Amino acid sequence: MLSIFQILFVCFILFAIFGVVQKRRSGDLGPKGALFWVLFWIGVGVAVVWPESTAKIAHIFSIGRGVDLVLYISIATLFYLLFRLHIKIEQVGRDVTTLIRKMAIDDAKKSLKE
Amino acid sequence: MFIAIVPAFNEAKHIFNVVTRLHPHVDRVIVVDDCSTDNTAFLAKEAGAFVISHGVNRGQGASLQTGHVCALDLGATHVLHFDGDGQFDVSDILPAYTKLKESGVDVLFGSRFLGKDSNIPFLKRYLFFPIGRLINRLFARVRLRDVHNGFRILNRKALLHVVITQDGMAHATQIPALVQRYKLQYIEHPVLVTYHEFGQGLRGGVTIVRDLFMDRFIR
Repeated sequence: MLSIFQILFVCFILFAIFGVVQKRRSGDLGPKGALFWVLFWIGVGVAVVWPESTAKIAHIFSIGRGVDLVLYISIATLFYLLFRLHIKIEQVGRDVTTLIRKMAIDDAKKSLKE
Repeated sequence: MFIAIVPAFNEAKHIFNVVTRLHPHVDRVIVVDDCSTDNTAFLAKEAGAFVISHGVNRGQGASLQTGHVCALDLGATHVLHFDGDGQFDVSDILPAYTKLKESGVDVLFGSRFLGKDSNIPFLKRYLFFPIGRLINRLFARVRLRDVHNGFRILNRKALLHVVITQDGMAHATQIPALVQRYKLQYIEHPVLVTYHEFGQGLRGGVTIVRDLFMDRFIR
């Protein structure tokens, strides 16, 4: 019998998968990205409905509890995503510089002609 | 055409004098005003500089690159990097320019440690600079006596290769790294630096290392 927490979480996962499918249809998400996110949410679903399954995988990696495994993976993923985000911000910063440079030079040339 | 590029951010106190003193030594002075909140741009223009104003503050590296793009456009054969805070001495320009031409190298890096007696703060001389030299060797693979000296002369060939993408202060490591990558010839030349303020502190140094590290992951 599923607990209230599990039912709510499964509903959330179904909602998330529905969102992924919609994004794929509208073209916002590529086929690889869509597959990754569907598999990710299915994985989360399995871990929520059958918590002991994470314990089994954890044992393979010599980690005591399934919850710990999930925690470790979550932290590693979060760090990675943060790093990616940081790089993206740097790239955007450089694009901004290119734009500012072009505008500044164009303005300077214009004022020289006047 | 020998063009001086002066990156300036809130340098109203010094910029007029810097530009006025530069004029007799170069053909043209470009001041890149990096969105100053004081009247740096106005004073630079009054002093006779060609002023380019960034609409948003982007950092010293970005300002230098803006100067590079403009100098190339104006047909520069050589460019001089010269700080806007009055820390350099204009009497160093001609000897440096002559040395660059006579030795046939592409880039000249100014150095505080080659004879001229600059009043370098103690902490900088004995702690920050040795660390900086190590970082330079690590990221740029260049052995320079003076790590972050804003006095440089580049010829047109170097100007075409040295495209600065480090918007902040890490450009001072990126420039020698690009010189090394494109196998440009370089020399160091003694210049005098008069410190009006401390400049880069420990925090600035950490930011530089972070920027250099992140650069490895940016396409």
